[in-house]
Amino acid sequence: MAVAAGALISLPGWAKGWTAETVQLSHNFLSRSQDDLLADIVETIIPATDTPGAKALNVHQFIQKIVVDCYDPSAQDTFRKGLTTVDELAGKTFGKSFAEGNTTQRTTLLTQLSQSTDPAQKEFYSMVKGLTIRGYMNSEYVMTNLTHYQMIPGHYYGCVPVPTKAVSQTK
Amino acid sequence: MANLNIDAQAQNTYDAIVIGSGISGGWAAKELTGKGLRTLVLERGRDVRHVTDYPTTMMQPWEFEHRGQLTREVKDANPIVSKCYAFYEGTQQFFVKDAEHPYIQEKPFDWIRGYQVGGKSLLWARQTQRWSDFDFQGPARDGYSVDWPIRYADLAPWYSYVERFAGITGNKDGIDTLPDGEFLPPHEWNCVEKHFQKAVAGKYKDRHVIMGRAAHITKPQPIHLQQGRAQCQHRTICERGCPFGGYFSSNASTIPWAAKTGKMTLRPNSVVHSIIYDEKKGRATGVRIVDANTKQMQEFYARIIFLNAAALNSNLVLLNSTSNRFPNGLGNDSGVLGKYVAFHNYRAGISAQFDGNLDSTTDGRRPNGPYIPRFRNVYKQETDFLRGYAAGFSAGRISRSNQDAIGADLKQNLLNPELGGWHVGSHMMGETIPKETNYVALDSSLKDPFGIPQLKIAIAYDDNDDKMVKDYQEQMTEMFTAAGFTNIRVRDDHRNPGLDIHEMGGARMGKDPKTSMLNKWNQLHAVKNVFVTDGACMTSTSTQNPSLTYMALTARAADYAVKAMKKGEV
Repeated sequence: MAVAAGALISLPGWAKGWTAETVQLSHNFLSRSQDDLLADIVETIIPATDTPGAKALNVHQFIQKIVVDCYDPSAQDTFRKGLTTVDELAGKTFGKSFAEGNTTQRTTLLTQLSQSTDPAQKEFYSMVKGLTIRGYMNSEYVMTNLTHYQMIPGHYYGCVPVPTKAVSQTK
Repeated sequence: MANLNIDAQAQNTYDAIVIGSGISGGWAAKELTGKGLRTLVLERGRDVRHVTDYPTTMMQPWEFEHRGQLTREVKDANPIVSKCYAFYEGTQQFFVKDAEHPYIQEKPFDWIRGYQVGGKSLLWARQTQRWSDFDFQGPARDGYSVDWPIRYADLAPWYSYVERFAGITGNKDGIDTLPDGEFLPPHEWNCVEKHFQKAVAGKYKDRHVIMGRAAHITKPQPIHLQQGRAQCQHRTICERGCPFGGYFSSNASTIPWAAKTGKMTLRPNSVVHSIIYDEKKGRATGVRIVDANTKQMQEFYARIIFLNAAALNSNLVLLNSTSNRFPNGLGNDSGVLGKYVAFHNYRAGISAQFDGNLDSTTDGRRPNGPYIPRFRNVYKQETDFLRGYAAGFSAGRISRSNQDAIGADLKQNLLNPELGGWHVGSHMMGETIPKETNYVALDSSLKDPFGIPQLKIAIAYDDNDDKMVKDYQEQMTEMFTAAGFTNIRVRDDHRNPGLDIHEMGGARMGKDPKTSMLNKWNQLHAVKNVFVTDGACMTSTSTQNPSLTYMALTARAADYAVKAMKKGEV
């Protein structure tokens, strides 16, 4: 373990990657209100319960980072237009902004998107949902507290009985 | 001034120069310094020190800005290297970017490279099988390529020698096509892999499923602890650099070992331009480099030179080492330099499901997997293609959760995944036949950023490879069916040559100087103090991975070189 500790100490500064504090987009891809809207969408997809939801884990920031840095311009376009659509639909279906809607209204609206006949709306929803799940499941909070990720398992056992408890309850 | 020049020359003079610090260069450095030679190791890339220069090795998944994904900018700028399975956010620092070293694809070829101290030994998949006489006899048997000047018996003690130092995990399986080695305890099987092993053994006498042999320390021996290396921790993020030295790399093993002798001078950022040939002396006298930082040319001198720049770059260096005596490249009297390049065919794969053993699963991670040694055309020619293929195999279960829901239900599902059934899969590793038409050459006008001619690469599959792909798919389907696997799907991804990262040949070994570049000691037939012991020297490619053979050939050649030097023969 001494070796591992040595590695930690000697890591250069740039090796420190994503944390909630360090996610800074290079330019303003979304407006402040769109950013808030995205936060509300991810929170609707994975809400706070007895554990934090996607918004508190900054999943909306992660999504923007991925869309801006990794996606091609047409997907970015779908993403931005999708956000506009969500607000328009909120106005039409429940007469308020998405943020002002209650959980049922928000959920209904997103479900509607997922079943939309408009391919762009469907694509937007599946993109945001997929990234929300990815951002949430790969967040430090979930990986350390709920799914108990082990960087150093130290073993491989080929045949163990299937655990009876879910991974989030094993420890 | 004359005196100053002599001083400068003396300062730049060593007993030996090793070009390259990857798997074979590291071994050359270790062996030559270990035998007391003052050795200069030239590496074109930057220095990468064990542990301290593995910037991502201790990073948790959530610490990666893009969770491992490559950015669009990186992908757009690197269409070639982006195809490599090991190139991702955590490993980008160890791969050559497309713009850094341009080359010409006369035919599509994805050239994957690692320019740094340690080279690709930081990135390799660590499979280490010995070659057998079936491999060394292949060319003599079917007449393609030329006969190897060595046989398994020549290499066996050297395999043992390098295996003990490197640390190889495996099982003694007693298989003709795959000689046993000096193994550390093997990795564990899972129950579906065991099931497949039994099913295959039950149906075929000559087909075996064994645990892979890999360069991982499953149980450290004193020699590994002396290197400062520790037991493999099963992180399976090897390609970020292993701080434990759990797998073999030049960085963790041979280079620091060579440094400890006090005899090694390591010079990173030294792009080799050519080997200097002295016509009066009839020997190579040194190496000409371009300093990567200053772009200045500089010369270093030595009694013997080991060329270990990686297969294609060793060809490039020899081709660019021209003189009146060798206008077509150093030692190239035969004209075969750069030709008869071959590789491994990784195009085909197969996947399926297994509905049994649902009460068991695996725990932990394993940086290795079962292996199916060659079983085709071994004792006789039984198909319409030459040579054969080996295959990887593995089984595992994946957790799944219903993601259709939204809200608290979705969250509940994500955190309470269900274990899916067993998935099994395999990929082929086929031997390709060295052909004159598969070659590399220097471009007459285009230069790389260091003013060195660009390499033209013309390497392609042929009918033999297509037939082999088909046979692998058919035979594996039959074996999978025998094991009761369902939903069997075969694939052929038609990847470009190169992506296998197993390019070999161009400066092949052989008995006859008229048809080969190197003799049985990896010595240039025509320039006795130059040794080539990396992939460039390979006469044929076998169905096994080549790295262990590079190590054994290097240790053997270094032993010979030092003895010959002491006798005044080189």
